[in-house]
Amino acid sequence: MILEVLLIVAFGGAFLTYLFGKISSRLRDVFAVLVSLALVVITCLLYNKQQQIVYFVFFDIPLILRSNMLSWFFGITIVGIGLLSVIYSLGYMGKEEELDYYYFIMILINASMIGTVFSGDFISFFIFWEIMSWSTFLLISYKGGKALSAGMKYIIMSIIGSMTMLIAIISLYVTCGTLEFSSLVSQVKIASMSYNLFLLIMFGVVFTIINAFWPLHTWLPDAHAEAVSPFSAVLSAVLVRKGLYGLYLVMYIILGLNILNKLSFGFISYNNVFCFIGAVTTVFAAFSAFLQDDSKRILAWSTVGQGGYMILGIAFTTAIGLAGGMFHVLNHCIYIALLFFVAGAVEHQTGGIRDINRLGGLIKRMPVTFIGGVVGISGLIGLPLTCGFVSKWLIYKALILENHPFLAFAAFMGTWGTILYGYKFIHNIFLGQLPKEFEDVKEVPFSMKFPIILLTIAVILIGVLPGIPLKVINIINVSAGFKALSINISGVISETGVLNTVNIFAAILAVLLVIYLFFRTGAESERVPQEDSYAAGLYIPIEKYHYTVKFYDPFSRLAKPWLKDRIDNFYGWLTRIVGKTAERLRHIYTGDLGFYLVYIVLFLAALIFVQIICRPW
Amino acid sequence: MVNPVLLIVIPLGGAFAIPLFGFISKHISKYVSLIVALAMAVIVGTLIPEVLNNPIVVKIGGFKPPFGINLVASPFSLFFAGIISLLGFLVSIYAIRYIKEGDIDKYHLLFLLFLAGATGVVLTGDIFNMFVFFEILCISSYALVAYNRDKDGVEAGIKYLIQGSVGSAFILIGIALLYGLCGSLNMADIASQIHSVNSPLLSLALFLFITGFGVEGAIFPLNGWLPDAHASAPSTVSAVLSGFAIEVGIYAVVRFVWTIFGALSILHFFAGLGILTLLVGELAAFRQNRIKRMLAYSSIGQIGLIVFAFGIASAAGVKGALFQIASHAMAKALLFLAAGYMIYRAGSKDISSLEGMGKRMPFTSLAFTIGAFSLVGFPPFVGFSSKFLVIKAALAEEQLIFTILIGLVLLGTIIEGSYFLKVIQTIYFKGREANPNKRIEAPICALIPMFILLILIVVIGVYPGLISNVLDSAASGFLDRIQYIKTVLVGV
Repeated sequence: MILEVLLIVAFGGAFLTYLFGKISSRLRDVFAVLVSLALVVITCLLYNKQQQIVYFVFFDIPLILRSNMLSWFFGITIVGIGLLSVIYSLGYMGKEEELDYYYFIMILINASMIGTVFSGDFISFFIFWEIMSWSTFLLISYKGGKALSAGMKYIIMSIIGSMTMLIAIISLYVTCGTLEFSSLVSQVKIASMSYNLFLLIMFGVVFTIINAFWPLHTWLPDAHAEAVSPFSAVLSAVLVRKGLYGLYLVMYIILGLNILNKLSFGFISYNNVFCFIGAVTTVFAAFSAFLQDDSKRILAWSTVGQGGYMILGIAFTTAIGLAGGMFHVLNHCIYIALLFFVAGAVEHQTGGIRDINRLGGLIKRMPVTFIGGVVGISGLIGLPLTCGFVSKWLIYKALILENHPFLAFAAFMGTWGTILYGYKFIHNIFLGQLPKEFEDVKEVPFSMKFPIILLTIAVILIGVLPGIPLKVINIINVSAGFKALSINISGVISETGVLNTVNIFAAILAVLLVIYLFFRTGAESERVPQEDSYAAGLYIPIEKYHYTVKFYDPFSRLAKPWLKDRIDNFYGWLTRIVGKTAERLRHIYTGDLGFYLVYIVLFLAALIFVQIICRPW
Repeated sequence: MVNPVLLIVIPLGGAFAIPLFGFISKHISKYVSLIVALAMAVIVGTLIPEVLNNPIVVKIGGFKPPFGINLVASPFSLFFAGIISLLGFLVSIYAIRYIKEGDIDKYHLLFLLFLAGATGVVLTGDIFNMFVFFEILCISSYALVAYNRDKDGVEAGIKYLIQGSVGSAFILIGIALLYGLCGSLNMADIASQIHSVNSPLLSLALFLFITGFGVEGAIFPLNGWLPDAHASAPSTVSAVLSGFAIEVGIYAVVRFVWTIFGALSILHFFAGLGILTLLVGELAAFRQNRIKRMLAYSSIGQIGLIVFAFGIASAAGVKGALFQIASHAMAKALLFLAAGYMIYRAGSKDISSLEGMGKRMPFTSLAFTIGAFSLVGFPPFVGFSSKFLVIKAALAEEQLIFTILIGLVLLGTIIEGSYFLKVIQTIYFKGREANPNKRIEAPICALIPMFILLILIVVIGVYPGLISNVLDSAASGFLDRIQYIKTVLVGV
């Protein structure tokens, strides 16, 4: 019952938002927020409820909605980020054109994502998935200009993925006669190993694409950078992670651990392959991010990289790794949305500037945004007491415990890269000298501030009390047949060590107090106006100022040749080849009547010839 | 009971009456074709529930088959007749305002002949009669293509005429051969004795039919006429040419290959031919920069998919093919109708001139988008249901060859998606600033048929069960040759 209401509210809300927009823009804004809020409330009601209902019949195939902890976990991130990004849009989009359309597609995407995670069979899953694909395409292209090619790149890769998934789904239907998740579980057990491998590969392709794992990541940086910022947040925080939901579903729910463990050839197993993809993705993306100068592009690459961590954890079939991977999904969703909101806020207030080399010193002008940025980056890096710490700790732990030094090393390398670009992000936007042109920049309006504040609190809250989400994750893992981790509200107790974040929190507070008291007793400090912070108040002619334009330049020069996106170039080349082939093939249709008549006669001749030679009929 | 012969008599009669009405008023003719098409649609609607169990065999002049001419109104035929009359009706609404230059009477006269020919081909049970109707269909479409009397149109019309005539000549030779071998022109009668005939000429006749009808059916490489004709014809004509004329060609091909010849061993050849047609069509469309030409090539691609689905030769495959015919008819007609006024307003056939149309013609743009989405196969539109059925039928064969072919079909879908979505980006997201935001929506006569098609695409997409029953019985009836022969000759 609740599930049906959820679906109706989500899709109905999208259409009504559009209609209300035709009446009044104020009404539409209010209604969009209300719908998003209603979705959050309804999803909360579903907490820990096991439900399954048939809501529709498509060609004799019952379409099913089901709710369990796994879908709730992903569902709550969708509606949560959905609500915040709609609120954020109120300020960010301001008086742009075609806002009815914008809000309509925004809520439609949320609705379809909710649909994918709450579907109980593959046809529903596919239908919602495709609605998600095309509506995302429509929203990425919304800004026009560069966004058009980003949108094209996204939709072509997405269609490729959908098609592989469609083959897998229909072959499942033909083989097993059902597409309902719980009955498939028993059916695939009797299927042959090679068939299972076929399924895993087909599903693997689509989920790798949407998750933007190397080497199918190329759509993501463009799409995230070119979409409007509230939607970039949705894309990066939740939409991309539908891929992980799908992987988890296929690997652990449908096929299960037993089959996965059997699918190995010596050292190489399906999981291992994904682990190494994850490792490559992490390192490659972290260092690509730090070559970027576009604030949103940095975040986009970091989305790719953090996806690597998640799959490292999830593909690593131990309870602790899985918990780490799932937890990282949640954490990433929170801090990356926060960071996109921050980048969007800066972009909005400075008149559309995303090149971080032109920014600087905004700390005093946009203090709330700054704090959001710092906390978000801390979460991204995984500093203790922010949410990213616990999940990364779990993933490292899993890698080290199982003696995978290379994977662990890759994960650490990823973090080093993250620290480098995280610092660059904060420094070049908020610290240092404030350029003259940004002297009158103001803090963002409340509707944009509110999501930033809320997410900032969430990053720290989950960092201090990781037990709350871990409890949910434990339930998910138990349902997939793993051992439950022993957790309490403040951390994890594992065989090799205890993590208690509340203790760390107390310790850090104490240290901070000591430092504060220490400095209190020292000499009075002198304040320098921010426009003159370059030499801490000493006089240096302004033309001698050295801005941080070429951050990490020597290292960039060293790393650049290694980090060329050869994969992207390869896809570009492939597209050109298809284009050329199409161009040649087009000339079959010469427009010359003589040729056409020859084709007709030749066709008849070929038929007769074949008949004479081989007598097929 | 309504006599199915009315489906042919009404449009023929209407066509002959138009010049007479022309004496009364110049404007009456456009309503005549509207009313005629509506009447046909109503008749099909009333007939379909009746024939679901037993096809109706109409003996013209009271002669028993195999003597005399007979019509066979089976679900399979009526499914085609339904699409013909429905699209005919919607397109005539559109034509009220759209066709306003030239000799309007002649347009409507030809249009009604076109409808009569198409329904005649699908209903008849006699091969020579089929040829006659086929010629009516083709000749009227040659003239309709050249209706605008511009250089492109006339050139395309003549090219189409010459290629079509070669095809018709092949068909006529084939009929002569078949008559010589079997001594009959009745389809059921020939079908009943075809396996006892042992002559190499029989296979020659089959190939002549495949080639001859294949020209109209736009099977690669017989479809050289299609891009020119579809691109240069008035959009109403393109819509029906693409919507059902080529499908009628395919109908004739499969009727001959399946029902009359029972040539089950060459079906895999059709599957392969379909895939070839699909890939060539989609790739050729990929680099077009004229909107109607792109749509024309995409029709070739879709026809390929239909032929492929027939080539699977299971009941599921035929059902998929029929569903695909329906979904293609709706989507492509919608696309051509939407493109018609977009071109008219933009003053150019180039895709790049459609920039900013999303604002200037919001509803037409929406219609175009939905049509494109459906054609690419995005749910929840009807194209997804049909693609789903075709893929399901192919994978149910559990042969490696079909799995590979399906892979190629999906490759075609990817190409199709990329060029259609590029157009949609052009319509909505390009040149939003440059164009003045003046709304110049298409007239209401054009919006109504587009709206109906749009609703059909969404509703059947969401509830495919609505037409699933008819298709099931059409597919199983079509595959059952013996039953067909019995029904016609013995009269169950």
